[in-house]
Amino acid sequence: MTAKTRYFVIVSLLVMTVGLGTGLVAYYVGFPATAFFNGDGPKELQYIPSTASVVAAVEVREIMASDLRQRLRQQFNGEEQDNHRREFQELTGINFETDIERIVAAFDSQSGAGDNALALARGVFDPVKIEALMREHGADVQEYKGTRLIVVASFDHKEFDPATAENVRRKAEMGLAFLEPGLVGFGSTTLVKHAIDLHTGGGSSAATNDELVAHIRSLEGGNAWVVGRVDALRERAQIPEVIANQIPPITWFSVRGHVDGGVQARITAEAKDDESANQLRDVVRGFLALAKLQTTSKPEFQRFVQSLQLGGTGKTVSLQVEVPAQVFDLLGAALPKLQQQ
Amino acid sequence: MKNSPGLLPSALRVFDFSFGQMLWSRRSVFLGLLVGAPVVIAVIVRMVAMTAGLPVINGAGLNGPTVFGLLIWVLFVRFVVPVLGVYYGTSLIADEVDDKTITYLFTRPVPRASILIGKFLAYLACVLLLVLPAVVVVYFLIVPIGGNIGQSFPQLAADLGMLVAGLTTYGALFAFVGAALKRPLIVGLVFAFGWESTVLVVPGYLKRLSVAYYLQALVPHSMPADSSISSLLSLFQETPPIWVSLAGLTAITVLGLWLGGRAVEKREYVLEQ
Repeated sequence: MTAKTRYFVIVSLLVMTVGLGTGLVAYYVGFPATAFFNGDGPKELQYIPSTASVVAAVEVREIMASDLRQRLRQQFNGEEQDNHRREFQELTGINFETDIERIVAAFDSQSGAGDNALALARGVFDPVKIEALMREHGADVQEYKGTRLIVVASFDHKEFDPATAENVRRKAEMGLAFLEPGLVGFGSTTLVKHAIDLHTGGGSSAATNDELVAHIRSLEGGNAWVVGRVDALRERAQIPEVIANQIPPITWFSVRGHVDGGVQARITAEAKDDESANQLRDVVRGFLALAKLQTTSKPEFQRFVQSLQLGGTGKTVSLQVEVPAQVFDLLGAALPKLQQQ
Repeated sequence: MKNSPGLLPSALRVFDFSFGQMLWSRRSVFLGLLVGAPVVIAVIVRMVAMTAGLPVINGAGLNGPTVFGLLIWVLFVRFVVPVLGVYYGTSLIADEVDDKTITYLFTRPVPRASILIGKFLAYLACVLLLVLPAVVVVYFLIVPIGGNIGQSFPQLAADLGMLVAGLTTYGALFAFVGAALKRPLIVGLVFAFGWESTVLVVPGYLKRLSVAYYLQALVPHSMPADSSISSLLSLFQETPPIWVSLAGLTAITVLGLWLGGRAVEKREYVLEQ
């Protein structure tokens, strides 16, 4: 091998080594995450039970300030929305538009119905004002492990009783607690108490559920996302077997959305195995082809349909979609006609 | 009397002197252009993104990972890999015959098949040392536009693996074509751009007689669905599991080299006067 050839080989291998090494380090270490993510998901995960089957998060302030939201307000009766916001503020003392920075919500399929939802809102809150307002509306204040827990009067809901195979009325309570400065948890009293337990005593929270955290980590970059376990939800829903067999064998699903002028979303499903994923991809491809054929004469929807991109490898199937603001304009224009009908 | 060296040591010896020869030959100018074009395109895309931003096509906003996937698919998988395989693979023995230097190789006390294998290894080293760094450079130019280098790294690794597999398999196949047939370049081009493109869309088992069938299964995420027709056609494309793809590509490579070696051993090369 001549010197010239040797230098060429060295330079070539150097470029590859540096490139692949940089990529590998970036993959494992990650580049600086946003405040929403600290590399292992939002900090609110430490208040959510590790058995949570669905976790969702929304950057409320960012979305409220987005162009799309302003557009929707103009399209879909902004005055009515303002009235709802004022009512909520009168009831709870919270201005949804300005006080709340983000919300992280969880659904725990292992808890009973009416007892399985928790939402954690981070923002600027006046605990004294909120407590006073809720007391005015009949809430009780309890003390739980040094934290004030505001319990809303119990309400009825229907729950399926496997013993009698009937829907029966059960009572459930809703609770609200200020878990730390700027963080309020509200939802079922059981889960709010569990959040307080996790905060005071540690324990097994969603932040220690490696599988869940790994899925959440892949959603970085969006200002709204949801991730969940389909198999856990399916068990909870007690779907008849004949219907359950028709549902694709998906274990995890996730949706990552980014709202600004429009909506960009990535929907991901993790199948049981590669074959199920391939079959699911085939089904989705079929629908995409059908959608594209159907919209050839509708240019306003064509852009949206053209943006649909199917992807994913192995057990993962993903669909990327971009909904431009113009689609919402069309929906806004069509809605009055639908309402008249 | 010493025994003649075995197949592998002889092949390595042939590789040693062929590698430098192949790298600095006139053919490498074409290789340089072929590999340089995607890098130039990547630089242009990067400059456009920095000034005006990437365009929105049919409502879909482009970002770096999407453009990178398109470049890999459209440029490398569909064009660069088959062309390099045909251009270099068919010429491994043919060039020696045309230059009338094959006699010198055949008079050496080495198995004839080792000449083909050694030259194949030299071809592989040449193309990999040029193509793979070019892909890495393109990756770092394009992916950071609206994307994340770390997040997309598995895609890069898969694409690099696919390129290695593709260049190896096409090279071995066309090495056999070059060793066995009279007009190897024409046969190679017809196979790569005629047969392969056609059988992939024909329903049935025929697609299994192509290299692209196994190669495309390694990177299905890169495959664009840009129209209703291609979406519909993709329904007919069965994608084999990765282990089947790798086994198929390995089988084609081994068979190509074995048949090529046999062809070199048995065939009489008539040098034109």
